[in-house]
Amino acid sequence: MIMSRRAALLGAAAISLCKPAMAQDASWPSQPQHVFVGFPAGSSPDLLARIVTEPLADKLGQPIVIENKPGAGGVIGVQQMLNAKDQQNTFATTINGPLTTAPRLTPNLGYDVAKDIAPVALLATSPLVLVVAADFPADDLAGFIKAAGKEPDALAYGSVGKGSGAHLTAELFSDRAGVEMLHIPFTSYAEVTTAIIGNEIDCGFMAPSAAMQYVQAGKLKILGITSEKPFAKAPGVPVMAGQAGLPDDFRAELWNAFIAPAATDPAVIKTLNTDINAILADDAVQKRMLDMGWQAAGGSPEDLQKRIAQDTKVWGAVLDRINAKQ
Amino acid sequence: MKRDIPDLAGGVILAGIGLFVSLYAVDHYEIGSLRRMGPGFFPAVLGGVLACLGVVIALPALVRQGPAIRIAWKECLAVLGAILVFAAGLDRLGLALVTLISVLIASVAAPDRRIGWRIVLALTVTALSVAVFSFGLKMTVPLWPGR
Amino acid sequence: MSGWDGFLHGLSVATQPGVLIYCAFGVVLGTFVGVLPGIGAMATISLLLPITYYLSPEAALVMLAGVYYGSQYGGAVASILLRLPGTPQSAVTTLDGYPLAQQGRAGVALFTSMISSFSGSMIGIFVLIVLSGALARAAIAFGAAEYAAMMILGLVAASTVGAKDPAKSLAMVVLGLILGCVGTDVNSGVQRFTFGQTELMDGINLVALAMGLFGVAEVIANIHAAERTGVPPRVALRELLPSRAELRRIPFPALRGASLGSFFGALPGTGSTISSFLAYAAERRISRHPDRFGKGAIEGVAGPEAANNAAAISAFVPTLALGIPGDPIMALMLGALVIHGVQPGPLMLEARPDMFWGLIASFGIGNLLLLILNLPLIGIWVSMLRIPFRWLYPAILIFVCLGVYSVRGSSFDMFAVALIGLVGYALSLARFNPALLLLGFVLGPLIETNLRRALLIARGDPMVFLQRPLAAAFMIAAAGLIVMSLVQVIRRRMRA
Repeated sequence: MIMSRRAALLGAAAISLCKPAMAQDASWPSQPQHVFVGFPAGSSPDLLARIVTEPLADKLGQPIVIENKPGAGGVIGVQQMLNAKDQQNTFATTINGPLTTAPRLTPNLGYDVAKDIAPVALLATSPLVLVVAADFPADDLAGFIKAAGKEPDALAYGSVGKGSGAHLTAELFSDRAGVEMLHIPFTSYAEVTTAIIGNEIDCGFMAPSAAMQYVQAGKLKILGITSEKPFAKAPGVPVMAGQAGLPDDFRAELWNAFIAPAATDPAVIKTLNTDINAILADDAVQKRMLDMGWQAAGGSPEDLQKRIAQDTKVWGAVLDRINAKQ
Repeated sequence: MKRDIPDLAGGVILAGIGLFVSLYAVDHYEIGSLRRMGPGFFPAVLGGVLACLGVVIALPALVRQGPAIRIAWKECLAVLGAILVFAAGLDRLGLALVTLISVLIASVAAPDRRIGWRIVLALTVTALSVAVFSFGLKMTVPLWPGR
Repeated sequence: MSGWDGFLHGLSVATQPGVLIYCAFGVVLGTFVGVLPGIGAMATISLLLPITYYLSPEAALVMLAGVYYGSQYGGAVASILLRLPGTPQSAVTTLDGYPLAQQGRAGVALFTSMISSFSGSMIGIFVLIVLSGALARAAIAFGAAEYAAMMILGLVAASTVGAKDPAKSLAMVVLGLILGCVGTDVNSGVQRFTFGQTELMDGINLVALAMGLFGVAEVIANIHAAERTGVPPRVALRELLPSRAELRRIPFPALRGASLGSFFGALPGTGSTISSFLAYAAERRISRHPDRFGKGAIEGVAGPEAANNAAAISAFVPTLALGIPGDPIMALMLGALVIHGVQPGPLMLEARPDMFWGLIASFGIGNLLLLILNLPLIGIWVSMLRIPFRWLYPAILIFVCLGVYSVRGSSFDMFAVALIGLVGYALSLARFNPALLLLGFVLGPLIETNLRRALLIARGDPMVFLQRPLAAAFMIAAAGLIVMSLVQVIRRRMRA
């Protein structure tokens, strides 16, 4: 934030020198860059954005101003990026929701993911863990599915709202495991955790970092993780895919990506992608992300494009299932 | 003819709002049942209650002398105008200019009509808001026109 | 380590010069942003957060916490002097603080508010040390049914805040409840009354609502009125302080307010705004002269101010002991802890006792600093009333706008302030009480979500509210209050 004042002054100076409609050329970046984040300062997506943009600003030789525009599950951040007058020096980092499920869940979204957004790079992913209270009768996934399968709605699970990662993952799990669970929406993981510990509800999917300390304190236990490989932040937790009758390709991950408006010069996207991949390969950056429960990712813009398309399809099918139930 | 105009108007407007909310909720959202309430349940019930309260407020006001009220039209327009201009201009004009303009608009309502006083006031408030928000609290907001 | 040993250990952490100075900085800044309308602890902490990367974890947390509880002190100042709550929590303080100021007793009101804030905080700290374990367990034992029942009781109890005209009061509460419905319905994900505006998906911004209803509306009403009443005469220092009889009216309301605040602050999701309303309602109910309220009752300042400061302290219980933040500000504090490598939660007390107790000890020191800082400031605040209003109001408007903008960087919220201000002015013309609207707005979503959630968890069985003993007790108390009020109204009618 120290940067912001300097950035504002530099921005003023830069703008008075250049024409606003300046064509992109080798001189990019010639002015401060703006990165919109659809979550408040201090939140996990915000911290992740700062971990990446700090070294990125050094590489670009221009300050980067983080603009927190929280609201509507991150959608407002993306909208604000697209509404900015200067579409060459404005970017955003976002979680998966605004790019995959928002078109289904948010009326008047105001943007078309395929047409308006240019993917830059996948920044990080986070698996989810299935959490139950420490005194839950079953100790493994098979026992859990058996308990859930006794009758429809035998178990109740908490999520952080309709269409949230926790909700969709639980529904994907129910579908693949052939059970029906009762959905109880909350507004934060903290509330879900309290309700599980207080035996108000039975289970929930959440980020490992949100659950681990309660596991150590003996209040919660984890029955499985939704990633393809075991996760360093959840040691000893078995991968769910292929277990207890779940298919081998069972996977559910939250992710965070760096995106640009579609009007951005392809050369700029290439530069950014190269720089971001170099940053993500750094051990110190990977460790900072891991401490927050994120696994550093990376890859080409096309990889991100594929990920968006794939998740839109998977979660779209889950949403169909949810809507059909109502 | 005795009338309590503020209560009468207030009651009628509230009843109208209540009715609108209730009908809109019934029309657009699922009501559900008492056991499993839908998203429309609360607004529909609350809207109904507000409509009734509005009537209860308005009826006795028909036959009662109310206090005289004076609507401060000029003050209202100046204050709201200043806020609207500030809201619309902050991103485009930057903090310094938009504060200057908004304060000048707001000062229209002030009893002191000297133009010199207004300019001093606008410059003072601008300096204050730039100092507190841009330099002191380092708020992410453009200071000058641009972006 | 017992509570007191821990606290003593914490004192040694909190009195290190490197921590103490940030504590002082935090509370001074907190007082300052608390006084400014609109911009509050939330915005300031989020703006300061990135700067704390360069501080030691203890210094950073102590400073941010200082901003938080410091803003509760400052919030009362503008409420009393200008009927313009610096923070939503201090909206109730306008009800009796402002009339006091109009009677030339601003100094007395400010003194009462400072002393009550201080006692409230100290009682909150005491409760935190002695009862943090029990409060944390209570927070877990509270399910959706208990919350719903408790909020209903709170709403019923507090609806009598401005009960000159029951229908008009109730209408304001209901209008607040309706405004609270705007946004994404938690249970179904349906967008209610958003009319296609993405900005409304998370509901109407609380700060925009409070600043519009009180701040903007008051400015419109006052530009003309203030010039006519002219500049208040200079008052002697002696008159700034309450008389002995007035002093005697402070301790009990403050004690009751602090108890309410300590309890409600510790429950996730309730927080200081509600406890200040409840404290006011309680004082009005207990008082032998309820007619004094709204016209400058000392108790009406002491109770709520003690309550919101006690709540600000006990709000740290679920945050630190369970890792469960009770409100957005606490969520931000939690984020700050995590940035500095401290994981709040059941393990924090064992893993980082220095941090835990250091923070709590800093509350004590910070509040002492606040008292020492604020008592001499009373004279300066009162003399601010001598500045002609035409110099003040344009600055107030700009600060309101920027304060609202700072919450989430939204221009939409500033447009909303203009509209809400217009509504607030209309309400004040027709003598409706906007404080009750704010109460309904804060409690409404909590009641609805928890009520529906409780029914959902009970698989649709409404008996859940009577089968769970705590929930049943709250429900019966609420029903009792309603019957009592009805009886009162009928008796009054019979007499008339």
